[in-house]
Amino acid sequence: MKKLICIVCPIGCHLEIDAQHNVTGNRCKRGIGYAIEEVTRPTRMVTTTVRLLSQEHPRLSVKTSKPLPKEAIFRLMAALESLTVNPPVYMHQVIMRDFEGLGVDIIATRTIPG
Amino acid sequence: MYDFIIIGGGVTGALIARTLSRYQVKVCLLEKESDIGNHATLANSAIIHAGFDPEPGTLKARLGVRGNAMYETLHKELHVPLLRTGAYVVARHEDDVAILNALYERALKNGVEGAKLLSGEQARKLEPALHRNSVKVLDLPSTKVTYPWEVALSALENAVSNGVEYRLEAEVVGIVRTDKVYAVTLANGHALKSKAIINAAGAFADKVAGMIETHVPYKITPRRGEYLVLDKSVRGFVERVLYPVPTEKGKGVLVVPQVHGNILLGPTSEFQDSPSAVTNHQADLSMIRQAASTLAEAIPFDKVIRTFAGVRATSSAKDFYIRQSLEHRGFYHVAGIDSPGLTAAPAIAEYVVETLIKQDYDLESNPDFNPYGMQYPHFHEASLAKKRQMIAENPAFGNIVCKCERVTEAEVLMHIHRPCGGHSVKAIKKRARAGSGLCQGGYCEGTVVKLLARELKQPLETIDYYRKDTPILMAETKVKR
Amino acid sequence: MKTDLLVIGGGAAGIAAALEASAQGLEVLLLERDTQLGGILNQCIHNGFGLHVFKEELTGPEYAERFIHMFHDKDIAYKLNTTVLDIRKEDAGFVVSASSLQEGWLELECRAIMLASGCYERTRGQIQLPGDRPKGVMPAGSAQRYLNMDGYLVGKDVFILGSGDIGLIMARRMKLEGANVHGVAEIMPHSNGLTRNIVQCLHDYDIPLFLSHTVTDIRGKDRLEGVTIQQVDENWKPISGTDKHFSVDTLLLSVGLVPDTMVFESLDIAMHPVTKGAVVDQHYQTSIPGIFACGNALHVHDLVDYVTEESRRAGRAAARYVKGLSVRQKRLALNSGANIHYTLPQYIDTADFNGVISCMFRVTKKAEQGEFVIRQGDRIIQRKKARFLAPAEMEQLDLDQTMLSDHETPLTLDFEVIRP
Repeated sequence: MKKLICIVCPIGCHLEIDAQHNVTGNRCKRGIGYAIEEVTRPTRMVTTTVRLLSQEHPRLSVKTSKPLPKEAIFRLMAALESLTVNPPVYMHQVIMRDFEGLGVDIIATRTIPG
Repeated sequence: MYDFIIIGGGVTGALIARTLSRYQVKVCLLEKESDIGNHATLANSAIIHAGFDPEPGTLKARLGVRGNAMYETLHKELHVPLLRTGAYVVARHEDDVAILNALYERALKNGVEGAKLLSGEQARKLEPALHRNSVKVLDLPSTKVTYPWEVALSALENAVSNGVEYRLEAEVVGIVRTDKVYAVTLANGHALKSKAIINAAGAFADKVAGMIETHVPYKITPRRGEYLVLDKSVRGFVERVLYPVPTEKGKGVLVVPQVHGNILLGPTSEFQDSPSAVTNHQADLSMIRQAASTLAEAIPFDKVIRTFAGVRATSSAKDFYIRQSLEHRGFYHVAGIDSPGLTAAPAIAEYVVETLIKQDYDLESNPDFNPYGMQYPHFHEASLAKKRQMIAENPAFGNIVCKCERVTEAEVLMHIHRPCGGHSVKAIKKRARAGSGLCQGGYCEGTVVKLLARELKQPLETIDYYRKDTPILMAETKVKR
Repeated sequence: MKTDLLVIGGGAAGIAAALEASAQGLEVLLLERDTQLGGILNQCIHNGFGLHVFKEELTGPEYAERFIHMFHDKDIAYKLNTTVLDIRKEDAGFVVSASSLQEGWLELECRAIMLASGCYERTRGQIQLPGDRPKGVMPAGSAQRYLNMDGYLVGKDVFILGSGDIGLIMARRMKLEGANVHGVAEIMPHSNGLTRNIVQCLHDYDIPLFLSHTVTDIRGKDRLEGVTIQQVDENWKPISGTDKHFSVDTLLLSVGLVPDTMVFESLDIAMHPVTKGAVVDQHYQTSIPGIFACGNALHVHDLVDYVTEESRRAGRAAARYVKGLSVRQKRLALNSGANIHYTLPQYIDTADFNGVISCMFRVTKKAEQGEFVIRQGDRIIQRKKARFLAPAEMEQLDLDQTMLSDHETPLTLDFEVIRP
């Protein structure tokens, strides 16, 4: 039996998961998926910034298109250090495609006009 | 070769510089910090005392009363802010009354104008927040409040416009006298020569004196004072400065309305070894709350926006120690300037120049001396018509940088570029008040950093908070490591 | 030209209120002091926004951009770089003084005002933290802006005081950007942040959380050199011998937010001692008819979704006021009773008492389960069971007006803890 706190949404359900992947304590079914993934292959959404060539907006906020394996987070941060983006940028424009073949894109989370 | 080097850019040094600039002499003021007035001048109670406290016949009594009167002239000439508050010295139980009566006698002897005794009841009618236990009150209508740091700045700036030189980050590390000439060595290795030296180094005065005197006639025992600052939204909580009856430890914890609308509570009084440490202590801050609560009812402590501490240059001489060295002609000590030092400062400067220096040197008047300082507008205090005119002439007056204190971009730029301009975030805060309000720079600090970088043509990460190597922005992100 | 509703602030609250008032047919003008709309959302680049409003999880900038799109689609008038400095009451409304670099001094007439100016961060001075006063002690939100908007770290070795969400989020952000985050201290025995932020911001990066601890000393001459934390007893007094020292160059403060009501300074508006915002009725109307407030300028929210929902209600209420459909009559107090920190609204206006009132409130202590009870006099008029309660999380209860027994007796909300 392993105790977890669900991070799928801000409610933060206190979950328990056993060896057979039976989950209890969840208030919605997304908690089940989270608990199983957390004990097998934990992933996280990453939100950060990249350099933008703009006087007014020197940084562009970005996020992963879906959760990234936890162990890859700092490699992603390192890869974003050398990235520079030119405006215009549109919300959800792909900034970096398929990081390390993990199927995760880095996408802009706002629009910066040119 | 200078005629005079002034060591120390506090309010005393700055006013001496200005007084000397009335004469045809070559003067240089040396300040070890990156901005002037960073020690006692910045962190004190801001009161121009009436002169009820010092023992009659002392320099403190004489120069205090004279200094108080001179602030009216400074206000006219240098536009230093002056709040004519008056003050109450409050006896809070019957034991205090005898002391209060004696203080009244002393005030009369010292020539304090308008001093009179009131019953607690009479006083509370005029000052409703006064504590209900107040039994008798000494009313001192000549007490005023100023912004001490601005006194130093405008005095120095006026001196500079009249020919005085000044150097920042110029810490004196050695003084030698040969053939009637003083050679002053700075920490950066530079050497300056002067015919005379004025030691106005505040809490460091004995250290500076020790560089040349075989016997230093006084010792500075730094005395820390801690304060609480209430937000300007409490303006009017008290109209007057409230003092308790003083003890041998000093004037005690006061309630002091400030020129910008805040109210100051403090100071404490604790001796410490360091002449520069300005640490706040939990116990001292609690003591202030407790002591202030015996002077005024229902102090809105939830409006505290800041705490700070200052160091007074208390000396073993008890009185101010202002005289020429017994060993070295032309070396003047202006030391032990603790309370009422701010009050006395203009009179100290006058005494040093007109009495002490003139005994030894023939000073020729400077025919070009202009006593008037620059006036820097405060946008938010202007009338609506004036505001519109100011914006029409300079659109940057329309851009509010600090919304708590309502400081505009134009004012920030003016205070960067004025003759004694500020080049750090704190230096701008002291000059323009950006960051002095409720949010303490939370909203405007970033804007001030960017304006400084733009105007000084420096990268953002080199803009310091106050001293050298205190940048707000430590490292840029997204730089390949 | 006289505007119907002047909205002060172009963040989540101001935009939602403006959109709603405009949808009700009002002529709206919104003033924003920054160079762009979106307010604090622009610097909150993390996700967790929008679960209630959009049923999906967005980052701050995404949430803002959706609303900014809607705002522009409606062609609502607005001015950027414009700071409101004063409000004056005039016969048929108000005159708002504002100033900007582009337009200079403005005197704007309006019938009603919506304050949506957000909040500011409590500072070191306000919590009277003792110690030296070097550079390097900074509110977490300021550091967030420097990091996410300007691209600068304010320090490389960081300690954080206060476990509010901004503090937790910044612990992770600073860590991701290469800083060493030594720990987070929280004076309360529980965190003030969302549990999931404890997990994904602290646990994920092995950042220790010291509950019932506070910073008791700050050391450093020019720059911060270190902080000392100590455990506190049940009266929040530091316990001697529990000192822990951290060598850090930065202390971030996440010690609370306070509604920014500075533009109310020259008006005599009743303020609430707990929320530090204006006292309002269910129409979000302050003690001065025609002046409304919503969002973090009214009381500090934990979720932007709640800000949006509240501001929409406020925008609707302002529209009814401007159209003359809602004239204040009698105000019944809704008092905070047992275990309730504050309620919002604090008054119920018996005029225009239309249907259900959304009451927001916070409890004063953590509880597994309990019951909220609203009484009018001795009579219970509403009750609701609830689980997993914490002071950090805002609760909501819909009060049905038909349950009121009269329009005279004040109401009280109690939280009754149920022992397991």
